[in-house]
Amino acid sequence: MKKRLALLMAALIGVVTIMGGCGGKESGDGDAKTEGGGDGGGTFIIRSQGDPVSFNPDTIGDDNGYPIAQNMYLRLCALDVSKQNLVPEAAKEWSYSDDAKSLTFKLREDLKWTDGEVLNSEDVKYTFDTIKATPSYYFSASMANVESIEAPDDYTVIFHMTEPDASFASILGWYATFILPEHVYNNGQPWEDNPANMEPVSCGPFMLEEYKQGESVTLVKNPDFPDQAKLDKLIFSIIPDEATAIQALKNGEIDFYENLPTASAKELEADDSIRVVYNKYPSPIRMIFNLRDEKIADLALRKAIATAVNRDEISEKVFSKVQEPEYCLYPSMIDWAANKDDVAPSFSIEEARKILEEAGYKADADGMYVTGLTIDVFEGNGYPDTAKLIQATLKEAGIGVELNVQEYNAWNQKVGIENDFQIELQGGFMGPDPVALANRIGTGQSSNWGGYSNARVDELLAMGVATSDQNERAEYYKEVQKILSEELPYFNIVSFAGPEANSARFENLPFDGEGKWAWADYSHTELVK
Amino acid sequence: MKRFVLRRVFTGILTIIIVFALNFVVIKMAPGDPITTLMGKENNSPELRAALEEKYGFDKPLPVQFANYLKTAVKGDLGTSIIYNRPVSDMIAEKVGATVLLGLVAAVLAALIGTVMGILAARHEGSAYDVIASGASYTFNSMPAFWLGLMLIILFSSLLGWFPSFGLSDTRAGYTGMAYIVDVLRHMFLPVLTLTLVLLPQYFRIAKSSVLQVMNEDFITTLRATGMSEKKIFNKYIFRNAILPTVTIFGISMAYLITGVTLIEIVFAWPGMGRLVMTAITQRDYPTLMGIYLIMSISVAVVMLIVDIVYAMLDPRIRYE
Repeated sequence: MKKRLALLMAALIGVVTIMGGCGGKESGDGDAKTEGGGDGGGTFIIRSQGDPVSFNPDTIGDDNGYPIAQNMYLRLCALDVSKQNLVPEAAKEWSYSDDAKSLTFKLREDLKWTDGEVLNSEDVKYTFDTIKATPSYYFSASMANVESIEAPDDYTVIFHMTEPDASFASILGWYATFILPEHVYNNGQPWEDNPANMEPVSCGPFMLEEYKQGESVTLVKNPDFPDQAKLDKLIFSIIPDEATAIQALKNGEIDFYENLPTASAKELEADDSIRVVYNKYPSPIRMIFNLRDEKIADLALRKAIATAVNRDEISEKVFSKVQEPEYCLYPSMIDWAANKDDVAPSFSIEEARKILEEAGYKADADGMYVTGLTIDVFEGNGYPDTAKLIQATLKEAGIGVELNVQEYNAWNQKVGIENDFQIELQGGFMGPDPVALANRIGTGQSSNWGGYSNARVDELLAMGVATSDQNERAEYYKEVQKILSEELPYFNIVSFAGPEANSARFENLPFDGEGKWAWADYSHTELVK
Repeated sequence: MKRFVLRRVFTGILTIIIVFALNFVVIKMAPGDPITTLMGKENNSPELRAALEEKYGFDKPLPVQFANYLKTAVKGDLGTSIIYNRPVSDMIAEKVGATVLLGLVAAVLAALIGTVMGILAARHEGSAYDVIASGASYTFNSMPAFWLGLMLIILFSSLLGWFPSFGLSDTRAGYTGMAYIVDVLRHMFLPVLTLTLVLLPQYFRIAKSSVLQVMNEDFITTLRATGMSEKKIFNKYIFRNAILPTVTIFGISMAYLITGVTLIEIVFAWPGMGRLVMTAITQRDYPTLMGIYLIMSISVAVVMLIVDIVYAMLDPRIRYE
């Protein structure tokens, strides 16, 4: 027995020694890192929250796959970091016809697929014809207004529209619109079943080297791309936990972390080896009312609620002032379209109580005018905390609300699909163009979860897409916002800004390229120190 | 004995089938579905939703969906992940290695160190060592694993710079051969340390209390009265009797080895089964979840069967009638 115990102890000591021995290899590892960095363009490691769903970027809208796709594939044109300017990718230039019923793209002539084939207009036509014909592909619904696509020569593509639409180019610069190789995908198989999804033939500045599910996606420089990437390798390292990712960034194990918690951003700002940038999106957090609900249908109640939300307090306490109060009904950062005169009411508890009194609401013994309302929010991104602050100020105004916090998927089922809610909080992109309003407030539209309907608004939204004259469009959209500020089917609370942190050893990151390159294009990024 | 084994095998299979059906119903009852993930956050198009529901057969009644799933599962096919469009069996196979590596090393270390510490504490009950070891055991037992993991990252990675903070290997360096093995060992250190510290207290307490219990038995007093040396009494009689509960606990922990340790895998970005389960739950990836649960219930059933048989063989007092 004694011998066995001794053996066990010996085994234990052995294991511990191996572990200790590993610790001693630190210097070797350090050398490898410098080599990796100093050799040519170097390696840039980006934190990714999860796995990409597929390397075919057009079948579904995939947040984890999107930044990877933007470095492997090209769109005709792409949105830059401001989410307002379109920059050219596979197309050199584009123009609308005068009636805004056709949109012509001239393609670059020096692009090739990684298997050596030339990228031409037939690839573009094939890609968008297939998307339009397949309702399960993400961009399909957005192509409802496209009547046909024409490829008159190798490097010209024309989109013909049924109704005038001067905003189509801007949505082509957003999700799931990457050009795919016809010679690979046109084989009778649905895109999602094609083996090329795992061994992709791409056309962008980087190409796939290796994918390890749950660990990393490694891209290498595409040697045949005309505008050579400065980096040798781009690695997307999958780290699900935020706190770990922040430590990894501090230790130099990763070089970039997008959309980190605002509290951590303030801490990282103090670190000289790290650069923090606030990336603004026209995706304000907003409160949406379900107008099908009897209580909520009363305008006076909605007005009182809007008057009793303290944006300054929410901005400060939940978002460390990084996400600023937003009073405009359309994001104020899109300057030409936002109506800055007709806005949501400012915060005043007395005013809110007065609105309710005047509308005939009677306070009970506890000073409450209305009780039993519910706000539905999902976990994360500061929504539950925002809702708690709103609950507190509403209570002061005599409006009693309960919070219902769920995980995203369950929340989406209840609020988005079943429309079973009274009040909900959500974010979501309202850019790049105010045409995005149509889907959110147009009668019967799919993202109009509150069931809002106003004939004049519908008319103005239709007029807004039918012309490409920006001044004229601004007039229509500003009138829409005036009506929204009076009827309050929703209102914005705080603007959105995502803190991004990167190693100061690199420059020319995607967010340094406003007006120049796409907002996740790392081909210009280079090692400087 | 043969009849006993057959009966245990039969109940094992029955349990797996019941668990399988229950899982299917519970997963489907949870609000939300994989379509939400497939559509992406900014998209609510009902046409797209209807097209996807039809494609994956979610528009059919639940019993029909269950029958369809059962048909493929019986053939040994776990199906294809809705989200990743890859065979579920491939995804599980990729993850099992990392999970077993982490779980097995930590379980063995925790069992060995915890048991040795527990025995020493029992033999020197009330000594300074006992007080310190018992105190440490309670402290680690009440620490949340994810918090402990993060503290170890801050200490050993950020402050001291001795070990990497996340992952299975260094993607920047991309080592091969022997260097790769050393790299993996270095990456394993912190997650294994965390898991060992968390698992250790249970082995410590069981070893200590069972040794104490056996030491107070009448037959030990009798042996002492015969003049036998303390060493011999301990090695020959106390240890053998006291080690049984530890073996049981270790056996059970082996059954759950394959399910992974989700929180630790998340904190250290360790690519194991626990994270696969977690991701499949948030994305409602039904086939992946069903596949993992099936593998889990089979592994638990098999280990329990083995434990039962070993018991019946070891202890003639146990009779399963």
